[in-house]
Amino acid sequence: MIQLENVQKFFYKGEEREIHALKAITLQIEKGEFSLLNGPSGCGKTTLLNVIGALDSVDSGKISLDDKDIAAMSENERTKLRLNEMGFVFQAYNLVPVLNVAENIGFIMKLRGLGDTVIKERVQEVALMLEIDNKLQALPNTLSGGQQQRVAVARAVAAKPKIILADEPTANLDSKNSAALMDMMRSLNDKEGITILFASHDDYIFENVNRVVKLNDGAIIEG
Amino acid sequence: MYKIILKLAWNNAFLRLSRTLLVILMIAVSMSMMLSIQGIYDGMTVSMIDKTKRSDCGEISLYNPDYRLNKILTNSIKGADKIRADIASRKEVRAIVTRFNVEGLSATARKSSFSNIIGINLQDEIDFGQFDAFLQKGEMILGKRGGLIGSELAKTLKIRIGSKVIFSTQDSSGEINAIRVKIKGIVQTGNIGLDTTALYIDGKRLHTFLGVQESEATQIAIRTDSPTLEQDLQERYPKLDVKSLMELYPMLQQMKDMMAIFNSITFCIVMLVVFIGILGVMYVSILDRIREFGIMRALGMEYSTSRLQIYLEALFVGLTGYAAGAVLGLGALLYLQKYGLNLSRFADGLASFGMDTILYAHIEPIYFINTFLAIIAASLISVVLPLKKIKNLNPIDVIKAET
Repeated sequence: MIQLENVQKFFYKGEEREIHALKAITLQIEKGEFSLLNGPSGCGKTTLLNVIGALDSVDSGKISLDDKDIAAMSENERTKLRLNEMGFVFQAYNLVPVLNVAENIGFIMKLRGLGDTVIKERVQEVALMLEIDNKLQALPNTLSGGQQQRVAVARAVAAKPKIILADEPTANLDSKNSAALMDMMRSLNDKEGITILFASHDDYIFENVNRVVKLNDGAIIEG
Repeated sequence: MYKIILKLAWNNAFLRLSRTLLVILMIAVSMSMMLSIQGIYDGMTVSMIDKTKRSDCGEISLYNPDYRLNKILTNSIKGADKIRADIASRKEVRAIVTRFNVEGLSATARKSSFSNIIGINLQDEIDFGQFDAFLQKGEMILGKRGGLIGSELAKTLKIRIGSKVIFSTQDSSGEINAIRVKIKGIVQTGNIGLDTTALYIDGKRLHTFLGVQESEATQIAIRTDSPTLEQDLQERYPKLDVKSLMELYPMLQQMKDMMAIFNSITFCIVMLVVFIGILGVMYVSILDRIREFGIMRALGMEYSTSRLQIYLEALFVGLTGYAAGAVLGLGALLYLQKYGLNLSRFADGLASFGMDTILYAHIEPIYFINTFLAIIAASLISVVLPLKKIKNLNPIDVIKAET
């Protein structure tokens, strides 16, 4: 499903290469996998997640999602790709503050132009699954951190993307909420068959995923 | 999709309520003031044009071509009664009068002044231009030996109701002749040319005094709404001068143009204020939410969708301001139309320009249409700069800043 071949990424200071963030990364992620990118801070987890998520460009190499070359796409094409085929869960939830929970969950589907009835049904279904169905009319700022992150996951899941990319989704949560979120993600992966790729430096997530890709200093050292 | 974008735009436009309300208030107040000024300026012009039409030339006037160069008796329109009857039979003619106007000298025992004696039919003048509404003092009657006098001429000659004026001029035999007129009323037409010189008496009495035929007149004035009548009359009466109001009073056209320039300047200043107001609120609002836009881009919202959202936000602010401004402005205009703006403190100065001391506003739908379009334009242009920020936004920068 996702194929990375010899991907190189540098960070620049002016015109000089300052950091070699990704070193000849070659990786394949299959459909329905629940994988974790793990490693210490600064090892390149987020950078790798961002290039896979078509958010960042690469200096060389090839990234393809279902044989579509992401690296060769224009900015507009990448935006469309993110909208139609990817779901994102960020560390800081990033919900739209002026929309209620139901509207936040249905936001991606609205952008895709789906009908109101379809969206309403799907929002209800996902909200029930993530146990936030009693908060659908609430605004994000009235929810706890754990609830907000569940809404963010619901938003990513509801549009049925091919892959969900989650960058340190448990970083702002306590251990109880983190465990609950991981259980839900695991269950979504089982029920909906969605491919999920995590980036986290928390070791306890290992037990929930079926593959761990270990990175160090911009290179894959295991997985 | 558009429903959610509309909701996003509406909620964000009023997210910082006090800031947005302040801009809306600024738009509303400046717009209502601009509408009031426009209404008063136009009201002044419309009033002067209206009074000139009613007191003198109507929409069209006919003269002997030589009369306007040399106002002597022989330069009158011969057979004016037949021409009048012919023109009056046309359905596009609302009212018509004939007048006989001669230059001469009006004098009292102590004062004298150059003036014009105008022979009129009072009922015709009332039908033509509500002449009775011009009465300032006394009665609106001419009588056998009476007459009416322009307000400024009355001041010059220090005349009161009941005073007698001797008017001297050359009659048809070439002799200097005089007529005594007992002043029954003082009229203020707002037409400064008439108010400073006119002495009105009954037309028949003037014809007899001057020794001219009753069928003669120096002016045939017509009230009409037809835009083609002037051309038609010129073709029908090629030996007469057929003149429109603006040809006879080019100063009015100048004044109209000047007021249009003043209105345009006021309009531009107010729209600049509106533009700066919306720009300020939108720029700050977008900078506040730059992260949100970055995240939405990361989630897959295209730039064109963000642009639509921002345009809608600006339009919501601008059009809410417009709605408030239109209501306030209409209220102010209706008040000024009914009660006017009292400038009696400047009465002397205004009177010397033929203006009223109370200025009444004129209301045209075009004020509101123009302002509506200009506010839409100002709203859309004001977000060009903030949109650049959004266009150049790279979602990865926002995500990196967060981690």
